[in-house]
Amino acid sequence: MFHVSFRYIFGIPPLILVLLPVASSDCEIEGKSGEEYQHVIMVSLNDLDRIRENDSNCLNNEPNFFKKHSCDDDKEATFLKTAARKLKQFLKMNIHEEFKLHLSIVSQGTLKLLNCTRKDKEKKQPSLGEVQPTKNLEEKKSSKGQKKQDEMCFLMILLEKIKTCWNKILSGTKEH
Amino acid sequence: MTILGIAFGIVFCLLRVVSGESGYAQNGDLEDAEPDYSFSCYSQLEVNGSQHLLRCAFDDPDVNSTHLGFEICDGLLVAGCLNFIKLQEIYFIETNKFLLIGDSKICVKLGQRILTCRKMNIVHIVKPEAPFDVRVIYREEANDFVVTFNTSHLQKKYVKNLIHEVAYHQEKNEHDWMHVNLSSTKLTLLQRKLQPDAMYEIKVRSIPTDYYKGFWSEWSPSFHFRTPEAKGPGKMEPVLLIISILSFFSVAVMVILAGVLWKKRIKPIVWPSLPDHKKTLEQLCKKPKKNLTVSFNPESFLDCQIHKVDGIQARDEVESFLQDTFPAQLEESEKQRLGGGVQCPNWPSKHAVITPKTFRGDASLRCLAGNVSVCGTPVLPSSRSPECREGGKNGPHVYQGLLLGPGTTNATLHPPFPFQSEILTLNPAAQGQLLLTPLGSNQEEAYVTMSSFYQNQ
Repeated sequence: MFHVSFRYIFGIPPLILVLLPVASSDCEIEGKSGEEYQHVIMVSLNDLDRIRENDSNCLNNEPNFFKKHSCDDDKEATFLKTAARKLKQFLKMNIHEEFKLHLSIVSQGTLKLLNCTRKDKEKKQPSLGEVQPTKNLEEKKSSKGQKKQDEMCFLMILLEKIKTCWNKILSGTKEH
Repeated sequence: MTILGIAFGIVFCLLRVVSGESGYAQNGDLEDAEPDYSFSCYSQLEVNGSQHLLRCAFDDPDVNSTHLGFEICDGLLVAGCLNFIKLQEIYFIETNKFLLIGDSKICVKLGQRILTCRKMNIVHIVKPEAPFDVRVIYREEANDFVVTFNTSHLQKKYVKNLIHEVAYHQEKNEHDWMHVNLSSTKLTLLQRKLQPDAMYEIKVRSIPTDYYKGFWSEWSPSFHFRTPEAKGPGKMEPVLLIISILSFFSVAVMVILAGVLWKKRIKPIVWPSLPDHKKTLEQLCKKPKKNLTVSFNPESFLDCQIHKVDGIQARDEVESFLQDTFPAQLEESEKQRLGGGVQCPNWPSKHAVITPKTFRGDASLRCLAGNVSVCGTPVLPSSRSPECREGGKNGPHVYQGLLLGPGTTNATLHPPFPFQSEILTLNPAAQGQLLLTPLGSNQEEAYVTMSSFYQNQ
């Protein structure tokens, strides 16, 4: 009996303390009123859709990135943070300046509104090619143009996911 | 202890004096005071495509800004800070690197040393562009003025929702301004709320609303307009006046016509009178002339040309034909014998109509009887009209003619009665409307019938 109580006293609490940071989100969404999103971020998202509306030759298969990261309940902030950081990778691509500008607004505006307290070092994000490991073999075979097309398709899906997740957050805020 | 306390007190006072002297200025002694580097800024979004403008200036115009500069940090799409550009006493920066979310820090620096900073949110210090193209249109039919203007923010993506303020006044009243706030770019001013025949000045400015906040824009260029003169209380539109006069006269004419034609035309149609059978009958049957002789005495019809009829024939045609072919007296004599010439309008065509062929047979018989004048003279039947009655006065002449027919002095004429009876026999289906009954026992009866008919009138 005595050894059992020691187990519960000294075993479980440390376990809880270790797991708590993992379960909890380190970001607090500040823009829940929706004003910043509606008047700034959504304007850029609409402009990005307008710029890319002519190029919609994308396959319907969902990249692996979204299988790992999704806007689940209580994980919206985490997803948005990951997605916003992912957007930054596209700024290095050779794309139009106006396109880059709106990508920056969406990325940094999202991070600004999330107000993540834990400033962990940004992990080296896997390159765009590694996001879809199943396609590593295909990249060798496809041309650069196809690669760029795939990246743009991934970008459009990513932007759509960000918009959906924001709408989910704001609609949940209105219900409360 | 006492000495120790005194020593601490002295040290404390010295410290206070020293610290106060370093930045203390009183009663205008500003020789060692730092200048006031307070400043104010405003932003204008999308002034040049996607480029935004941020403009700052010192509140104190006497500040020596020779080596001073401005910089903005935070709230940018790029890491680090952006420096302002100096233009005379104004500092500005035109860039599209504003995040438009969160606060930014704007600092005054002297070289690399930061003098003062202020935290500002770019979207809360927005100053819209001034409206333009202000116009006023007078609507006579509505008695109002429509004020319209334009603003460049209608085509912008960020600062789209604005509150516009319209200010107008009578030019002679310099400080008596009227203000109206609206969110659209159209305003209606009622004419009755303005002075007639007066000159007005009007201008517009804007301020952002909703998420973007800030300051009033500059006033738009003024527009001047004159209100029309007041209309007289009894003045009417000429068209309306003409229409009203015409309507009055039309109504008056209709009333007069209705009064005049009421009895004759309108009332019989609106309130038709039920027919009276007695009066209707009187109207149908024409009254004979008073001088008309009505009699069943054959002598009354001597002057009357009586023709037998076979079907419906024109009297004139028959008379002319008979005059050409037969002696007038012979016609009359035959008619006398027939006794069927005088008749009323309801004389049926088949009534006592004898074909010539039949009649010739009779004539031949008469010839055998010694009536030479009658021979060879067929008589064509003809119908007689009621006008025959009018020739009743000539009746005796007819008979005389008959008697004095050529070559007939020795001829004897059978009295018409047998022929009448023959005629009647030949047409046993004669209708009861036969008015000329044999002048025998039925004479009085027929006479009574005729007289009673006229008595009923």
